[in-house]
Amino acid sequence: MNRVKIGQSVPRVEDQRFVTGRGRYIDDIDFPDQAHGMALRSPHAHARILSVDLSEAQNLSGVLFCFSGQDWADEGFGPLPTKSAVRTNSDGTDFKEPPRSCMAVDRARHVGEIVAFVVAETRATAIAALELIVVDYDPLDAITDPVAALQPGAVQIWDDIPNNLCIDWDLGDKTATDDAFARADHVVCLDLINNRVTAAPIEPRGAIAQYHTDSDTYTLHNATQNIHANRDIFATNVLHIANENLHHLAPDVGGGFGAKNGAYPEPALVLYAARKVGRPVKWINDRSESFLSDTHGRDQVSRVELALKGDGTFLALRTDSIGNLGSHCATVGPFTISGGSARTQGGPYGFEAMHYRGRGVFTNVALIDPYRGAGRPEASYQTERIIEYAARKLGFDPVELRRKNLIPPERLPLKTAMGLDVDCGNFPHVFEQTLAMTNRRSYGDRVTKSAASGNARGFAISPYLECTGGSPKEFVKIDFRADGQVDMSVGSQSTGMGHETALPQILASQLGLPLSDITFTQADTNATPLGGGHGGSRGLELGGNAVFQVANAIVVAGKSVAGHIFDLPADQVEFADGRFFVPDSNHNLSIREVIDASLDADHLPDTIDPQCMNRNSTFERGIISIPNGCHAAEVEVDLETGRVTIDGYWVVDDFGTIINPMLADGQVMGGIAQGIGQALLEDIKYDPQSGQLLSGSFLDYAMPRADHIPTMEIGYYEGAPTKKNPLGVKGAGEAGCVGAPPAIVNAVLDALQEFAVDHLDMPLTSEKVWQAVKGNVAK
Amino acid sequence: MPVLNTRVNGKTVQKEIKPTTLLVAFLRDGMGLTGTHVGCDTSQCGACVVHVDGVAVKSCTMLALQAEGADIQTIEDLAGDDGTLHPVQQAFQKHHALQCGFCTPGMIMASVALLSANPRPSPAQIRHGLEGNICRCTGYQNIVNAVLDASGQLGG
Repeated sequence: MNRVKIGQSVPRVEDQRFVTGRGRYIDDIDFPDQAHGMALRSPHAHARILSVDLSEAQNLSGVLFCFSGQDWADEGFGPLPTKSAVRTNSDGTDFKEPPRSCMAVDRARHVGEIVAFVVAETRATAIAALELIVVDYDPLDAITDPVAALQPGAVQIWDDIPNNLCIDWDLGDKTATDDAFARADHVVCLDLINNRVTAAPIEPRGAIAQYHTDSDTYTLHNATQNIHANRDIFATNVLHIANENLHHLAPDVGGGFGAKNGAYPEPALVLYAARKVGRPVKWINDRSESFLSDTHGRDQVSRVELALKGDGTFLALRTDSIGNLGSHCATVGPFTISGGSARTQGGPYGFEAMHYRGRGVFTNVALIDPYRGAGRPEASYQTERIIEYAARKLGFDPVELRRKNLIPPERLPLKTAMGLDVDCGNFPHVFEQTLAMTNRRSYGDRVTKSAASGNARGFAISPYLECTGGSPKEFVKIDFRADGQVDMSVGSQSTGMGHETALPQILASQLGLPLSDITFTQADTNATPLGGGHGGSRGLELGGNAVFQVANAIVVAGKSVAGHIFDLPADQVEFADGRFFVPDSNHNLSIREVIDASLDADHLPDTIDPQCMNRNSTFERGIISIPNGCHAAEVEVDLETGRVTIDGYWVVDDFGTIINPMLADGQVMGGIAQGIGQALLEDIKYDPQSGQLLSGSFLDYAMPRADHIPTMEIGYYEGAPTKKNPLGVKGAGEAGCVGAPPAIVNAVLDALQEFAVDHLDMPLTSEKVWQAVKGNVAK
Repeated sequence: MPVLNTRVNGKTVQKEIKPTTLLVAFLRDGMGLTGTHVGCDTSQCGACVVHVDGVAVKSCTMLALQAEGADIQTIEDLAGDDGTLHPVQQAFQKHHALQCGFCTPGMIMASVALLSANPRPSPAQIRHGLEGNICRCTGYQNIVNAVLDASGQLGG
């Protein structure tokens, strides 16, 4: 692929290795003399650890090193901190952050917490050694329900954190909201649960640590999404070494979706183990361990209230949500239930006032951290469910009610009642564009046809408002080599999204260079001094704009080199389509010729640095951008079995400028599939008494398969590129699973209208729907 | 230790192995063929699909010794000797039928087997036929399109 442009569906360069089996994931890497580590995980949700006897395990032939939580504590290592941006309660006091040690020391607080760690010659030996460790547990009562955990007298996860309350935070104008509710013609209220799910990237987490005795430094290969920030945590917070003494890098990463974003205990354990045994130590989670120990997503219990005028105009929205954080604060931890879920409350609709209260609560289950959307899917679900519910209760047409309340483009820019800075967009246009795709005219025929075969049909439309997030800075470095190759190193990271194509595509299009000349490096603390990794749909917003910015700097530098060659001032040189030239003259050089000249120090004057075209650039985001769009779904419910079939799915997204439509489609479709999974299939379920994970494998946790997912029709609205960044991009990665759950749930409830089902909590499994059809819904 | 006699990607292999070795472990650790992936421990995800005597098999469900005398093909052998990609590999790239790439080798091997059993499958048959392979990235639509294209049903 040679000349490429922004807006072109350039096929991915990384696919060549992935389709031929030459991807290099963490478990594909082995170092000479490598040992293998395995974790012993607590079988109890809550238990005092009275003793850990490692002696038999240590004596097993092939075992190199075993350590317990107490051994770890005795080394003086620090806990994994939460980096939540929200850290105070609404009364101004600090939130509660219990110490998150990498290993349970005297008390285990969820099933799967690490109690001991074994390093052996082989993985099989390490597993055998785990069996020989004798732990004396004193089981304690466990609690898994965050609402129950808040009640007086509930099981206490932390002795010094009353009522298990981590944070109690609010946003918005409470007085104005209360006032709007007081004078509203209609008020509706709905209690709903956003089910706990897991990202389940198909590649489990894993890491390999090496300790270099000569230099007293470490190298950590790690299947993570966030190389620099996690390097700092492992080095500064846990091991108490200088950041530069830990070289942290990720090979190809087999999906992340947020679950590989945070700092986990195991990489810290293998770093320590590698130093102790003096050999590389590899650890790979198996799938069962992943279910227990990956951070999960969502898990909120919410009360949502909507105040309306008699004509259906929205006045105010009030959301009170309780988030189950698990046993500790994860790396982002309490941010999701606070700021993460608050900002996009109310979606693209106009409200006089909004108020959001979020409480984060500790229980005896695995930790919550971002999963694709991290709060925005919850906000979208809360908003769209209460609107649908209000329409049904009050007799409004759900389509009309939404249409009536969408913020018109002439009111933009505006700050929402949640403080979100919405600069541009055209919500009504996107709404109508979506509706036009859905063949509404023949919908009645399809309803009749479904009814004739004993099925019920339903439809829902679901606009959404998004915002980007993640680290606000990104770095890129470009090195032109004498052999014609161009090295691009970036601090943003793809775990499948295609940065290896999209970011070089931006550089190649701006500079008129062949895409095949560019060699891409990411996720390596030695390659870039800083990097924001992956998260918050930031790849193009940060990484893409950093590349765009560095391309401009390269052109400026190139003009000075070309000016020298032309013997003219640089300001007379222009650049277009990969050529430096002076208009109305025969001065005209390709960028490659100018790069070659720039690298030829012998022929450059002293005033021009021979490295002047090798540039780096740090892009810093001012204000987060606001992707938005609209989903619509048509479903058919088999009334005999409760099975839901999605018969049509349509979406229009406003992501601003689209760099590579094929990759954007991929993000949308993958996100929708995850949203459909949450709406219909997926559920992380703990036994409420024992705290045991009941959906702990792909046999019990229903991942969407090919025949669960419909054909999706995707459109874009490109009439509103944002001015918040030079490329005009708004972020595409998470939108799919922000819009999909309410679209699906509302469509199913629409189909079930005749059965007077007001609400069902996700996932809408066949059994749950069948029970609802039979009238067996718990009220 | 028993000796396994088999053929892997066209080459005769004779190797002593522990009788408990799974086929996937033999391929990855014994043969260095790391294109075959392990994504679960319950034979659900399909990332480890290879061909055994031309049939798609989850290589985590089979002991290596059960492949005695068999002909095993992995993702590494699917492209031609000159590097020309198999039509299914080409179609996966063309249709953006992969993102992180982790499920892809198993998905491609399953798709190739599906097409050899049914050269012109319908979209529904493709979705049903790939039910044993989980992809978390793509939402499957582009995989279905890739398989349709590889079977010559998309035109263009």
